[in-house]
Formats: sequence, C-alpha cells, structure tokens
Amino acid sequence: MLVEQDIREIIIQILSIQPEEIKMDEKLSDSLGVDSTEMVNIVLSLEKKFSVHIDDKQITKFSSPRDIITVIESKRARP
Amino acid sequence: MKDIVITGMGVAAPPGIGIADFWRHMQEGRSFVGPITRFDSSLYPSRIAGQIKGLEPYSNSFSPRLLKKIDLFSHMALVTSDLALKDAKIDLRNFNLHRTGIFMGNTLGGWFFAETELRDLYLEGRGGVSPYMASAWFPAAPQGQISIFYGIKGYSKTVIADRAGSLMAIAYGARTLERGKVDLVLAGGTEAPVTPYALLCCNTYGFLSRKNDTPEKAYAPFDKNRDGLVIAEGAGILTLERLHDAQKRNAPLYARICSFYTNCDGYDRVAFEPEGICLAVAIEEALKEAGFDKDSIDYICADGAATASGDVSETRAIKRVFGKRAKEIPVSAPKSMFGNMLGAQGSVDVITTVLSMMSGAVCPTINYRDPAPECDLDYVPNKVQNKDVKRALVISRGRGGINAVMALERLGDGQKTEKDTEEGYYVS
Repeated sequence: MLVEQDIREIIIQILSIQPEEIKMDEKLSDSLGVDSTEMVNIVLSLEKKFSVHIDDKQITKFSSPRDIITVIESKRARP
Repeated sequence: MKDIVITGMGVAAPPGIGIADFWRHMQEGRSFVGPITRFDSSLYPSRIAGQIKGLEPYSNSFSPRLLKKIDLFSHMALVTSDLALKDAKIDLRNFNLHRTGIFMGNTLGGWFFAETELRDLYLEGRGGVSPYMASAWFPAAPQGQISIFYGIKGYSKTVIADRAGSLMAIAYGARTLERGKVDLVLAGGTEAPVTPYALLCCNTYGFLSRKNDTPEKAYAPFDKNRDGLVIAEGAGILTLERLHDAQKRNAPLYARICSFYTNCDGYDRVAFEPEGICLAVAIEEALKEAGFDKDSIDYICADGAATASGDVSETRAIKRVFGKRAKEIPVSAPKSMFGNMLGAQGSVDVITTVLSMMSGAVCPTINYRDPAPECDLDYVPNKVQNKDVKRALVISRGRGGINAVMALERLGDGQKTEKDTEEGYYVS
C-alpha cells in the first residue's frame, strides 16, 4: 500500500494532475497521455525514491500504475 | 508577393500583452526598460532589459503540466499564437491542419530552462538533467510546441538569422502561402534573452548599452549619446492568409505583405558595411517587387541598432534610396521604448507598423535629443506623430550585416473600424 501511495504521488507531481485522474489498470499513455519525456521523468523519480535501477523496457508509457507497482515490489523483494 | 494579408496579431512585449494593451502603452512614448531583477546581474557590464510582466492571465489555455515542460520563449510563443488566432477569429477546426504552417524566428534558444539543467548535469550527473530539456531548449522548440498544441501539421520552418530572424520567418511564411503549399500561416518570432548565460553572450558581443543607472534613457538610436541597444524579451505572432480566402470568411484585414528582400553585407564578422550599400539594394529590391513608387512610402520602421556602425549605415542606405525625400519620411525605432527582442523583433516591428496604419499614428524613437553625426532624418523624436500611413517598410538587420526589408500596404482606407473602437488600439 505504501509503494502504491508513493507511486501515485510521483505520477501526480510529475504530471500536475488530480489524484482521481489516475486509473490503476490503464496504460499511462492511454489514460493520461503520457509522452516519452514525462515517462523518463517518472522512471528517474521511481529510481530515486525506491533506490532501484529500472531498465528502459521494464516500465514504459504503455505500463499501467499497477504494472509499475509490480515491477517496483519485485525489485524491492530481491535481497 | 500578391495578395498575402495579415488577418490576426498577437503580441507579448514589455509595454503590454495583446494588441490593445500593447498599443495603448506604446502611445505613451516612454521607456519600459528597467534593471534586471530575475537574477543577480550586478557583475554584468549591461544589466538592464525590457521584461515581460503578467503572462499568467493569458496562459489559461495551457495546463501547468505543459508549462513546466517548456521554456519561457515557447510559453510566450503559445500565448501570442493564441492571441493572434483569437484576433483573426480563426477556429482551427475549420482549417485543414495539414495545410497550416508555422514560421518562427529565434536567435538564442531557451536558456532559462537550459541553464539550470546544465548546472544540475555538472552537480548531479546525467540523472540530474530533466528529460524535458530535450524538447525545451532548442530554437525550433516554439514551432514544435505550437504544432503539438494545435495539431498543426503543414509545411513549417524556424529561421535563425540574428535580429532579422522573425522578419524572414514572416516573409518565408508569406511566400509558402503564395506558392499554395499551405492555406494558413502562423508566423513571427519569440525570444527570452533575460537569463544569466544569454545576457553574458549578448554582453560579450559588445552591442549592449551600459547606461545601467538610467535604464529609461539607455536605448537611444540615432542619438549622439547612444552606446548600444538594450535587450528585451517577448514574442509576436501574425496569422497570414491569401486575400480571397480571408475575404471569404470575413476575416479582419489588417495589411498586405507586398514584398521582401534579404542580402548580406559581406563585410565584417560583426559590424555593418558603413556605406549601407547592401541595405540600400535590399530596400530597392523590396520596392521593386512590391511595385511601390519611392514617393509613396509613408513610414519606415527602422532597425535602430544604436551603434555608430548601425545607425549611420542605415541612415546612409535610406538616403541612398530616397535621395532628397529621405528627410521627409518618418523613420522611427519604436523598439527604443522597450528594448530589442533580437530574433522576435521583426515580428513586433511589423505589428507596430500595422497598428500605425490602422490608427494614423507613428510611434517615436525615444531618447533622441542630440543628433549623432549624419543621423539627420525625421526619426519621430520622443512623441507620437499623427501620420496617415498607407505604405511602409520594415527593416531588420542582424549581426555581421544581414539585411532584411519588408514592404507593407494598408488594406482599405485606414478609417477606424468598429473593431478598433471596441479594442481601443487607436490614438484617441
């Protein structure tokens, strides 16, 4: 739940949107029209926030917020 | 050029935003130049500028999400595009966006954005640089942002030609329209030079006034005490259409763009050729293409570089073309009131000239008190002059002797229309 909240906050802050605009199961490009530069910004913020390295293809603008949670949680679960 | 007309105008300049506000303040014949307050400029030899105030109320069409991704120069280009389209009563849903073009002039790019990102690059490494840098900095960014915002997809260009850039952009837009490649053009320029690095570049070039203690008197073209120009930030955008298309949709008809010519002095890396021979050729060619008799020119909007090389060569060029009549033609540099917008200046000079045509009033060259040697034309000193302007020339010149001249002609009889009265941009 904490991971989800942090991810939501990153997306809200970077895209300057309202919380209710986030659709957890829809691609960011479809639901919020995220472009490639915004996506790089989101990935950089995720890396900083969770102290993980994210490869280019693991999280893209075609990922949904829920996909992002899965990637982050799997990385954090690793020893 | 035949039947290419200006149907809408949007401006963001130190005297005002939108043509009504801009023109109202231009009538005051005073300076809008002041000390630079955006950053500590105390160690710069020139630390004064014309700065934009109050852009926010005109930015409601643009989301905070978009504005945080773009530089000030793109922001001003979007605002003035919006103002020009509204002024022209254009609903882009009625236009084929594949046949709509954008032609922009710019000199420096978006350093307000770039400088902080480059600082972060060196402080934090590659991860410190905003990805928005990729599309925020480069001189064609405003063209791209206008294109994306409105979905405009037609033949478009950005012109970089120092201070002549936006006059060229308007001309190339008009020619593209004339050739039938597009049906509507947004053309003009934008510049945001009031940043630490951009100001440093301009200072290094050496053409800036150092009258930091008297900013309102600093920009003094053709005056004996001139010591260079003052930079300004701002943007100007015009909508251009073919006359019959504009008439078909009952568009506002401001003025006809009749011709354009450009050449280079081929003389020096920085200075103008002193005799003004090439500028004279450019004026002659512009008159020839327009089919204008020399005696029919009512006004010349001058480049007004406020350097000995610039002012004298410009004055000599005008005398070379117009002979004895040169002294009878009002020749002014209204930009002396607010500064020189570099790559955006030509577009604002066109707007000022068109507003003079509409209102019957010519804006002055301020700070012209003691004529500089050889500078003895009617520079419209210090006060607005009532003058019926039907035909006019606009001169823009760039570093190292780029010369650009555009001929304009008023449409109609120049009487105030209901629209003028509503928006109040005439001299009352």
